[in-house]
Order: sequence, then C-alpha cells, then structure tokens
Amino acid sequence: MEESLILLIVLSGALGLACWLVFLWAVKRGEFEDPERPKYRMLDDE
Amino acid sequence: MNKAYPAFPPIFEIPDAALPARCFHCHATIDERQRVDGSHEGRDISFCCSGCHAAYLLIRGAGLDAFYRRRQATSAASTGHRLVATAYSDAYLERFVVRKGDSASISILIDRIRCAACVWLIEKMLGRIEGVTDVRIEYLSHIARVEFDPGKIAAGEIFDTVAALGYGPRPYTVSAARAVAREERRDLLVRFGTAAFLTMQLMACSIALYAGYFHGMEPGMKRNLQLFSLVLTTPVIFYSGWPFLRGAFRSLRNMAPNMDLLVSIGALSAYIYSLAAFAGGGEVYFESAAMIVTVLLAGRLLERGARDRAVAGTERLLALAPERAMRMKGEASEEVDVASLEVGDMVLVRPGENFPVDGEVVAGITEVDESPVTGESLPAIRREGDGVLAGTLNLSTPVTVEVRKVAAESFIARTARLVEEARTRTPAVQALADRCAALLVPVVLAMALLSLLISAYRGIALVDALMTAVSVVLIACPCALGLAIPAAVVAGSGSAARAGVIFRGGDVLERMGMVTDVVFDKTGTVTEGRPRVERVTAFHPFTGEELLLLAASLEASTLHPFGRAVTEHARSLAGSIPSCTNVRSFPGMGVSGEVGERQVLAGNTRFLSENGIDFGNIPLQIASSRMYIGCDGKPAGMIDVRDGVRAGVAGLVGYFRQMGIGGRLLSGDRTGEAARIAAEIGVGRSSGDMLPEDKAAEIRQMQGEGKRVLMIGDGINDAPALAVADVGCAFSGGMDVAMETSDLVLMRGDLELVRFAHGVALRTMRVVRQNLVWAVVYNAVGIPLAMSGRLTPVFAAAAMTMSSLCVVANSLRLARLPNGGG
Repeated sequence: MEESLILLIVLSGALGLACWLVFLWAVKRGEFEDPERPKYRMLDDE
Repeated sequence: MNKAYPAFPPIFEIPDAALPARCFHCHATIDERQRVDGSHEGRDISFCCSGCHAAYLLIRGAGLDAFYRRRQATSAASTGHRLVATAYSDAYLERFVVRKGDSASISILIDRIRCAACVWLIEKMLGRIEGVTDVRIEYLSHIARVEFDPGKIAAGEIFDTVAALGYGPRPYTVSAARAVAREERRDLLVRFGTAAFLTMQLMACSIALYAGYFHGMEPGMKRNLQLFSLVLTTPVIFYSGWPFLRGAFRSLRNMAPNMDLLVSIGALSAYIYSLAAFAGGGEVYFESAAMIVTVLLAGRLLERGARDRAVAGTERLLALAPERAMRMKGEASEEVDVASLEVGDMVLVRPGENFPVDGEVVAGITEVDESPVTGESLPAIRREGDGVLAGTLNLSTPVTVEVRKVAAESFIARTARLVEEARTRTPAVQALADRCAALLVPVVLAMALLSLLISAYRGIALVDALMTAVSVVLIACPCALGLAIPAAVVAGSGSAARAGVIFRGGDVLERMGMVTDVVFDKTGTVTEGRPRVERVTAFHPFTGEELLLLAASLEASTLHPFGRAVTEHARSLAGSIPSCTNVRSFPGMGVSGEVGERQVLAGNTRFLSENGIDFGNIPLQIASSRMYIGCDGKPAGMIDVRDGVRAGVAGLVGYFRQMGIGGRLLSGDRTGEAARIAAEIGVGRSSGDMLPEDKAAEIRQMQGEGKRVLMIGDGINDAPALAVADVGCAFSGGMDVAMETSDLVLMRGDLELVRFAHGVALRTMRVVRQNLVWAVVYNAVGIPLAMSGRLTPVFAAAAMTMSSLCVVANSLRLARLPNGGG
C-alpha cells in the first residue's frame, strides 16, 4: 500500500516535471512573447 | 557609398507619356497588341487588357472615381515620408544590421500599421523578396525583425519594399530599457509557471492529508505526504515567491509596509508554522503558503500584460521627425543626418516632407499641416520670418528653413521628454492594496505579539505560545485581500474591453472612479476634426449645386481640408465632378483655374478682390470659415465650412455635471473659438492658445488644487497632458502616440464610451470595496478566534478558502456588465 503510494507520487512528480520542462522550452522559444498574434494565424496561407 | 534610393516607386505614379505605357488601372506595362483605350476626366488613358478596362468602368459606374484620385493622393501624401522612408543609405542602415554567420537581421519600426491586414501584407511582401529568410512583426509594438542573406540583398531594398506599400519604415535598435522589460516579463512567467505546476502537485497531497485528518490516516503515510508537500512548497516560496520576498525586504528597509510585505509575512509564517508542525508531528498547511504565492503571481502577470502595451509610445513620437535632411551650402545641397544640423544651418524642405527641426522660414511661402503638433486641422501659412516646428508637414511649396534649435531640442524631442517624465512620476500600481497593507501589517504584527504576550502571561509553554502567534499571522494571511483587487479589476476591465474600452492597469480603474474634473481637448476630440460644408450661398444665375461643383472641381486636387470638405460634399450630391485645367494654388489665399470655358477663383475675400471681384461686406452668421467663389470676374457665391461638434459630447458633459464632475476645455486654437465651442457643449470654462506644455501645466495646477483630472484628447499635442492627468483618455483613430501615453483607450471614436468607462470604474471600485470589507471582516473575526486558540488551523484554512471564493465570485458579477452606454 505504502509502496504503491510512493510509486504514484514519484510518477506524478515525473509527469509534472515533464510538463514543467515543456513549459520552460516554450518560454525559451518565445511562445508567449506576442499574445496578439495567434488569433490571426488561421488567416495565414501556410 | 551614399546611394540615394529612387523616389516613390513608379507603382503609384500616374502614367506619363514619357514613360513606357502603363495600365491606368493596375499599372502593369501595356503590351501594345492588347492595349485598350479610354478616357478619364478629359485625359486619354489606356489599359493593359479589357479586364482592367472593365474594372475601371465598374468603379466609375459605381461613382467611385475617387479611388483613382485617392490612389494619387495617397502617393502624394506618402511622398511626405519619402525622405524618412527611403533616404536611408546602405551605409547608414549597415549600423543597424546584426550579423550572425552568413545571415543578417535588422529590426524595423514600421509606422502607420493599423490592423492585422497591414501586418499580413508587409510580412507577405517582404517574405517574397529573394534573399529574405524570415520576417516577423510584433503585433503590439509594430516592430519587424527581418532576417536576410546580406550577399543577396541590401537592407535598403527591404526598406524600399515597406515604403512602397505605403508604410513608414525606420531602423530600430532595441533599447536597453525594453530589453530589460522583456527579460523581466519572461522571468515572471517562468516563476509563475513553476509555481503553478508545483502547486497543482501539492493540491493532490493536500486533499489526501485533509481526508486523512477527518478519517484517520496511517502515521507513516501521513509523514511521507507531508515530506513530499515540503519538497514541493520550498521552491514555490523561495524561487517563485522571490519577487515578493525581495519587495518585502525593500519595504522593510524603507520602513514603508506594502503588499509585498504582507504577502511575504503570510506565506512565510504559513511555511514556517508548517515546518515546525512537520517536525513536531502536527498538521501542516504548506498548500496555503504555496497558494498565496501562486495566485498573487497570476495577478501580477495579468497587470504586467496590460502595462506592456504602453511601452513603445515615445519611440514612435520621435519617429515623426525625419532622420535625414537636405542641408543647403550656397547653391549646392547635401543630404545629412538630422543630428548633425547646427543652429544657423539652412535646410531645404520640399512639399510632402516633414520639417526635421524647429526653425524659421527664410525663403518661400507655404502651407504647413501642423495637426500632429497643434491638433489644428487647418493648414497654417508660413512665410519668411515665421517659425516652423519639427514633425509638421510641408504641404504646398519648397521652402528654405534656417535651423533654430538642434534636433535634440526640437519640439518633438521636448514633447517626448515631457511624456517620459510624466510617466515615471505616475504612482505605482496597486496603490490601494499597498495602503491597505500599510494599515494591516502593523495591526497583524501587533495582534500576534499581543497573543504571544497573553499566552506567556497565562503561563503557557513558549513553544505553544509561539504556535498561537504564528497561527494568528497565518489566519490574517491576505489571500482574500490579495485577490480582492486583481480579481475585481480583471473582471471589470475584461468586460469593459469587450465593449471597446481598454483600461491600462488596475490603478486606472481606481483613479477613473475618483475623477473630480474632466478636461477636453477641442479639435478632433470635442469637434470632429474634419470640416464639413455647412451652407452654400449662390448668387444669380448660379444654383447652389452649380456653385458647389465649380468649387469642387477647382479644389479636387488640393490637400487643403476646406477643399476636401467641398469636394466630398459635391461628390455626395452630384456623383462626379467636372475636371478643371490650369489649376494654380496661392498659399494662404486661394486657388484659380478653368472649368470648361469658365475662369474660376476660390479663396478668401482678399484673394478675390485682388483679382477684381468684390464681395462687399457680408457678415458671417455663425462662427465658421467661408470660401468665396468668383466666376468670370463676378462674385458667384460663398460656401461656409465648419468643424462640427461630435455627437454625444453635450450628453457626456451633462452626465459629468450630474455626477458632480466639472468640465473644462483646453485648446490650441484661438481663445474665442474655444469659448464658443465650450458654450455649445455646455462646458463652463475654456482656455485657448495653449501649447502642449501649457495644457500639461494647467492640469498639474488643477492637481495642485487637489483635483483628480480626466483628460480626453487625441493629438500629439495632448500627449504630455494625457500623461500628466490622473487618467488620460484617447481613442482609436487618433494619433498612436496619444493612445500610448493614455491610461484609457476607447476603441471607437464614440464619446459615449467615456461615460460607460466611468460607470465600469465606479462599479468595479464598489466591488473592490466590498471585497476589501469582506476580507477585513473575515480577518476581524478570525484573528480573535485564533488568538484565543479556539480556531483550529484546519478550520481556519477552510475558512480562508471560502473567503477567497467569495471574493472571486463577487468580482465575477462585474463580468456581466451591460454593453455600452450603461
């Protein structure tokens, strides 16, 4: 019981860490720099 | 190598016999075998194909000839920025190019971007150029970053392409302040994101722990979960919460308690209490500490987003004055950097160019569009000995100007400085919360100390007494208080934004709700800023319509607002306008020309009497401007033109009067004219002949008298006043700079929205007060209970959550504001 709980905690921690890394990567890529732009993206050709 | 770029590209020019034949409609080169001929306003024109001819006929048939004229007019107006746009030499631009291996990049600040379509067009056109690898334009700042291959293309060609589209490109260096702001925003985002992920994880543990508290839990498992909570919370407090901790430290050093301090005390006491409880085997409240930090970081991020929109303002103001000028040296002229001009230099300014510096006309006479500076829509006559201001536009003839002030001292530079100064003086955001915090911090600390002393007096063990004290602080933790303002502000400004009113930051809502006086700019704000034909008086044998058509055909080619008013009016009545030949324009006097067989003159009385046409003395009935028209040596009639008052202004003034808010009109126009408009809209006080500095000084003086001023304006001349005022309000359609220096932006030129904005502000402030009262009442009940040791921390934490939820729910009522008008 306790082992499975620790396993789950570690698992959820790993998932969170993965999400956090993706988030950091997105910030680095400038994904949040220009909040105006995405709403016009569907009008672009490509 | 000072390669000057060709004047405006031929794409906008009228086809000329000397040039290879170009299609009148699409400007493509005409293949002689497919040429189609036609005529336009008495001139022979040709088309490249019958498709274009058909398009031309369609446009003409629909009475939209103006398209072709506008196209020319646009090009004429745009040449005004020719010097700015394409006079950059490659050598000069080279300074702005950043090289990286084989590729190079340059940042370009682009003027006159209005909408997403502009951005799209520029990106597409630049992207098509051979050698350009990447184009990206920021929607908010209108700054383009272009990556290109320097071996294939020079930066100048990129500039030419943008200019050819009718926009004004200028080289741009990312200023240090802007780079820092960007870095800060990124930093805040990472801190918030980190806090959010960790807090989400933490919540899972907390739910388990709470469940365990009520239903029992194995001690070992409880300990594991608590340890995990501790591990998750520590970075939230010390990494994500660092901005608060730093702010708290600073406020302690300055002896000025603020929100940061309160937040830090709350978060830290919860953290330390939990740490002690973890060591001692009690209940932990890590999630409270992490929640405070996360929620308040979110609030801060929202605030920041609103403020970032206001950054680029002064840079664009400076963009008004060109960077290159033609310096005269005897007979020769040379193109120089404006910064190198010295007092006493002679500068040649051609029609359509902006004056680069403040100076005095020494040769020539011309009409000058001073609207960006004075807000006045009518051109001013500038002859020898008259002063001209940097940033104003030369309309009719080339003039030589003697430099009176160096570029750094020019009008535009001074205005930019005024705006900058005013902005740094604007009080920090969240002033209200800080004031609450300033009050609460000592009270909370005193309570904690008091409970400690009482416990000690009653002989309770020191550890337990400390626990009680800490729990007091924990319960007083400002979660609801911290949310009280951001939640209401975000909900209120969000619903306002849907109706077309943008509040820049929460403090604007607060100040808007406390306004005691409103100041209007006249031209373009109270009036439409665009003259209209008010009345046409025709003398026998002319009918009104004939007279209007005569005048309109004469004025069709002028840039004078009167002329435009007349042609627009004529076109709306008659559809098309007869063409006019031999048009000659006399700056400050009038225009002459031939319409059909007739010799027509239009202008002021002096102009007509000098040409032998005497109108006698006909009094003007209303304050308006009058254009006299003579035909074949006889008076033909008069057209009264007037800049009318916007609809809804009087209603707005009435509304403010009802709310006990005084009105005032400040104008760069003549005092009499200002007084007349003031009387018309029902404003008691007015002042005329005001320079931008005067307007700002006047508002500062009103503030000195303890008034809180709302300033509504639209021109660059209003920018300093807008920045100084407690709330500056500009609307879309005015100058960019005015919009960027103001706190409140109306997305439509509809003054009704001001009333709406005021209503939203009042309502939001009411909700903020309710929230604050609720948060304080909660504390007032909670603290004594905690002090007496009756409130077990679990219930305190639950009550805290309830309190926060109440605050959020109350704020959300604002999201259901009625649209407009209300």
